[in-house]
Amino acid sequence: MVETKVAGKVADDVHALTTPQGSGGEPATPTVLQGIGGAGIAAVAAQPAMPREALSASQAPVDRTLENGHGEPVVSPHPYAAQMRERRLAIEAQGRARRDTLLYLNGVTKSFDGFKAINNLSLVIEKGEMRAIIGPNGAGKTTMMDIITGKTRPDKGEVYFSGDVDLTRHDEAAIASMGIGRKFQKPTVFESHTVEDNIRLSLSGPRSVLEALVHRKDEAERQRVEAILETTRLTDKRQIFAANLSHGQKQWLEIGMLLAQDPELLLVDEPVAGMTDAETEETARLLREIAATRSVVVVEHDMHFVRALGVKVTCLHEGSVLSEGTLDKVSADPKVIEVYLGR
Amino acid sequence: MNRSIPWLLLSLAVLLFGLGPAAAQQAEADPAAIVQKFGGKQSFDATEAVIAELAATGDERVARALRALREGDLYWREGDEAVFIATRKGSDYEIFDPLTGDSAGTVPSGDLQKVRVKNSIRNAVTGALGTLTLRAENPAQRMRAASTLFSDADPEMIGPLDAAIAAEEDSAVKARMQEARASAVLASDLPAADKAAAAKVLATRADRESLTMLIRFAGATDDPVAKQAADAAIVAIQNNIAFWNQTQNIWYGLSLGSVLLLAAIGLAITFGVMGVINMAHGEMVMLGAYTTFMVQELIRNNAPGLFEWSLTIALPLAFLVSGTVGLVMERGLIRFLYGRPLETLLATFGVSLILQQAVRTIFGPSNRQVGNPDWMSGAFDVGLMSVTWNRLWIIVFALVVFLALLAVLNRTPLGLQMRAVTQNRRMAAAMGIRTPWVDAMTFALGSGIAGIAGVALSQIDNVSPNLGQGYIIDSFMVVVFGGVGNLWGTLVGAMTLGIVNKFLEPYAGAVLGKIVVLVLIILFIQKRPRGLFAQKGRFVDA
Amino acid sequence: MILARFLGPRVWILIAAILAAAILVPLSNLALPADHPLHVPSYLVPLFGKYVCYALLALALDLVWGYCGILSLGHGAFFALGGYAMGMYLMRQIGARGVYGNPELPDFMVFLNWKELPWYWTGFDQFWFAALMVMLVPGLLAFVFGFFAFRSRVTGVYLSIITQAMTYALLLAFFRNDMGFGGNNGLTDFKDILGFSIQADATRAGLFAASCIALALGVLLVGWITRSKLGKLMIAVRDAESRTRFIGWRPEYVKLFAFTVSAVMAGIAGALYVPQVGIINPGEFSPVNSIEIVVWAAVGGRGTLIGPVIGALLVNYGKTVFTALAPEFWLFLLGGLFVFVTLLLPRGIVGTIDHGWDALRATRRAKEAEKGETAGTDVVPDPAE
Repeated sequence: MVETKVAGKVADDVHALTTPQGSGGEPATPTVLQGIGGAGIAAVAAQPAMPREALSASQAPVDRTLENGHGEPVVSPHPYAAQMRERRLAIEAQGRARRDTLLYLNGVTKSFDGFKAINNLSLVIEKGEMRAIIGPNGAGKTTMMDIITGKTRPDKGEVYFSGDVDLTRHDEAAIASMGIGRKFQKPTVFESHTVEDNIRLSLSGPRSVLEALVHRKDEAERQRVEAILETTRLTDKRQIFAANLSHGQKQWLEIGMLLAQDPELLLVDEPVAGMTDAETEETARLLREIAATRSVVVVEHDMHFVRALGVKVTCLHEGSVLSEGTLDKVSADPKVIEVYLGR
Repeated sequence: MNRSIPWLLLSLAVLLFGLGPAAAQQAEADPAAIVQKFGGKQSFDATEAVIAELAATGDERVARALRALREGDLYWREGDEAVFIATRKGSDYEIFDPLTGDSAGTVPSGDLQKVRVKNSIRNAVTGALGTLTLRAENPAQRMRAASTLFSDADPEMIGPLDAAIAAEEDSAVKARMQEARASAVLASDLPAADKAAAAKVLATRADRESLTMLIRFAGATDDPVAKQAADAAIVAIQNNIAFWNQTQNIWYGLSLGSVLLLAAIGLAITFGVMGVINMAHGEMVMLGAYTTFMVQELIRNNAPGLFEWSLTIALPLAFLVSGTVGLVMERGLIRFLYGRPLETLLATFGVSLILQQAVRTIFGPSNRQVGNPDWMSGAFDVGLMSVTWNRLWIIVFALVVFLALLAVLNRTPLGLQMRAVTQNRRMAAAMGIRTPWVDAMTFALGSGIAGIAGVALSQIDNVSPNLGQGYIIDSFMVVVFGGVGNLWGTLVGAMTLGIVNKFLEPYAGAVLGKIVVLVLIILFIQKRPRGLFAQKGRFVDA
Repeated sequence: MILARFLGPRVWILIAAILAAAILVPLSNLALPADHPLHVPSYLVPLFGKYVCYALLALALDLVWGYCGILSLGHGAFFALGGYAMGMYLMRQIGARGVYGNPELPDFMVFLNWKELPWYWTGFDQFWFAALMVMLVPGLLAFVFGFFAFRSRVTGVYLSIITQAMTYALLLAFFRNDMGFGGNNGLTDFKDILGFSIQADATRAGLFAASCIALALGVLLVGWITRSKLGKLMIAVRDAESRTRFIGWRPEYVKLFAFTVSAVMAGIAGALYVPQVGIINPGEFSPVNSIEIVVWAAVGGRGTLIGPVIGALLVNYGKTVFTALAPEFWLFLLGGLFVFVTLLLPRGIVGTIDHGWDALRATRRAKEAEKGETAGTDVVPDPAE
């Protein structure tokens, strides 16, 4: 659906990456049947595979775009002028392609002691997009999140946020302040604070220590807290210590804390792990509600939940993109089936 | 009266030189008695006979008297005809015992008569001096003679030395004699070429003594050839000395490193592998040292013959004592605090206070004497560096303990279980490993090794209740610096810190050097919070 | 006003008690006759003053450990640095009354054959300068040390161990004669402070009162910090440091703030301590001293305002009593206290009482709810909730 905007190089990379690559490190036999039910796979596999051309078609002819946008007259007849102009336009084209994206990962690699957790990973998230990321254990999902949020520096590759912010140059706090929120796999909230204080500490605003010392609550702040409590269904729990919340409530509180940050992009790691069905439903609804105004990346094993989200799916395997598209297309991909089910 | 003075002198000599050798010589010709024969008016022939008699004793001490005779410094006292070496002091003479050189007071110049000499007497003395010592039966004695002559640098001795060198068969003694000859040549008025050759000989000896000799010579000589040779030799010797200084520093560093390794190696298990902050670790070391003390006390009182074996006996006992205390600590305290490192730190600190005070109450606050067995005492020379046996043994011991521990961790079932439990406790438990038992055993092992370290450290440190305190911070620094959970890191960390410390000491002094090392470690931890050999991976949460 | 609501009555009672002591102890010592039953003998005034300084020190540690989760094993160093700064001022006040009668140089420098005052001693003849240094030196050390440590994310026991190494390094340094701080013997034989004889009862009473006021201000300061949004942030950093980072805070600066403020408080405590005990020596840097502070805070209850104050007073009173009765017994007791508190009383006295109180209320409420349910009546919600 949004693929058409992916231009030039990126699409090539994505294309190249979707073909299987032999890579070192972890043994290639995925023995884990994580999250995806056998029956589910069978059902999914029965559906016809989406033609690969869908991706290739997205390669918009770069030259035309440039001519339209940059039809400036050539001022100097310098012998290299044409070459230089072309190079400049090419760079700009890439920048422009990137500029339209919210999150842009290109050729990212990260290894730990020789084990390639992320291997030449390229991924593009559009503004306003919601994306589900699936993949067996050890596929590099968490490491990818670590790289985006600045916890881990990639060995090589580009990571850009809203087109031109190089995330590899910033630390967690700076990246969080730019508008990327992250929910951990295990809910982490401030257990000795009340629900309300948890959200209040997360509210976007100045992050200086001295400001915090003299900070006074005001009406605007109260209203924002109120709104978030409302969204996350925690209004009646506002005075309860976070330690006393149920598991599902903690997950919501954490999502609420992300909302309080007012991020452009939310990274949500396994939001429904350990939740009841009702809670899962509720969470899916909550995430869809959030995605109306922000971009969301959800890492999840639970296929029912992913289906409930109804968004584009990226399947990671051994640190690179294995398949991308609708859930139906991805789960019909023979490579995905192989990774999940084995040969 | 006449007879009593020599006897008095004799007994003095006996007192000074220890009873053994003196008593043996008394039975033969007693040099102290023979020297007295110079006293009174003597014919030159009689004097020469006394010289021959003295030379025949083979006693090195007579060389002093003979040399004094040659220089005309040998006197006898009017009245008792006692013989002395005398030097003028104002209007009086200060007199010395002719053999020992001990001062025997001052006498007015009128009381002394010089023992008369002429050239033939001088020659006789020189010859006697040569045969006296350089031709002695015992190679060790010849060696000593050559060494004495080296320091004396007496040109008169070149002749006898040449003769001795020609006759010498022992190459080491011969080399020493050639050095003695070279030193004599430098002091002589021989041609410059000979002196240049002598400087070369001294350059091969290359110690501080030959350096001062050469510097003195280079400053005094005005012959360009000899001076040049001397300067070249000086540079060569200085380089040699600098080399040995560095070697000595490294050796001291390794020695300190091995002490640090011993102190830290138990901690590498309890802190590094288990993650338990045991502030009472130093007290485990102290308990090991006190066990050694107890063992030696028992041996001294009951079986003195076993003293040489005291350390060997103490080793397993120290392991048991500290290991048991560790086991009790783990079962009674630490196991309730797993996952709460700061609380563990505080509780074990409390235990360390209690252990210290307990030892202080039982054994008293002062240092306890722990003896070195013979094989741990003494020293030997390597080049210009002196190596003490206890330091050498401790380095060997530290490495043995290290390798043994490595073997335990990597080759035994307990080691396997230990590694399993530390890597994934729940999985290990699921596979049927009794994790509490493994915890207890691991902690006991780490503590027991600290006890063993205490046995070794009792040999070089004061055994007092505060023994452990001095090591605890250093040990933690070593483990943290080397990288937690990595035994090799502990080895490298200990040796690096030891050597850096010893290299800093000459510039900064011992205390400041230690401070600098601490500051460096603090800065290092800032840079690499996980130490030198850090475990990597995304599971390590920084 | 806002504080009044936030700090709660208990803290105000504590502050009132401290201020009352600041007035009553000097009054009873100076005004009442020696045989009066309420008379506080002169030898007790500096002893009490010492306790109060320790209480301030424990409170400073509580700010970093109880609220921010940084177990500093080097707070004795900040205390001692403050003490040395004050000691240097007091040394300069001796003037020509020293044994060697040198108006410029302290005795130990004359003894070491020094010819002139080292540059870092200049200015310490002025009280205002010394007072500034009392805060600046520990504060600056803490700032620089903390900046490097927190920025490179040294946490937990690693941080504890390097703070211990820090105070150990300072201990070794101050033992050296050529540091110019009196070496082994430290600074002593003080005569005057601000022109008043340091031995005089009135001066001592004044110092005691000053210590009490400093403690009261310290409680207010820590209360203000911990009740602010920053204080909540500190607790957040203590409980889930990486979460604070991922919502955009920089926990290293939060810790740096707490650590520096705490070091300044410790420095002030040290500066008030020195004139009352009459000596400062390198022993104050010893790692054992620093770790003892931790046990005061632990006994009283870390993470509370009144806990460390109570803990410091109790433990030090116990120390005085037991070292007088059976000196060798004290270390057994102190060691046992470490074990006991961590194993059986992890919240400390105040924390345990609070917790017990909360638990009691919770069970009572649960019972009432049960009763309410069976009786079919609505439960009136607790207003505190």
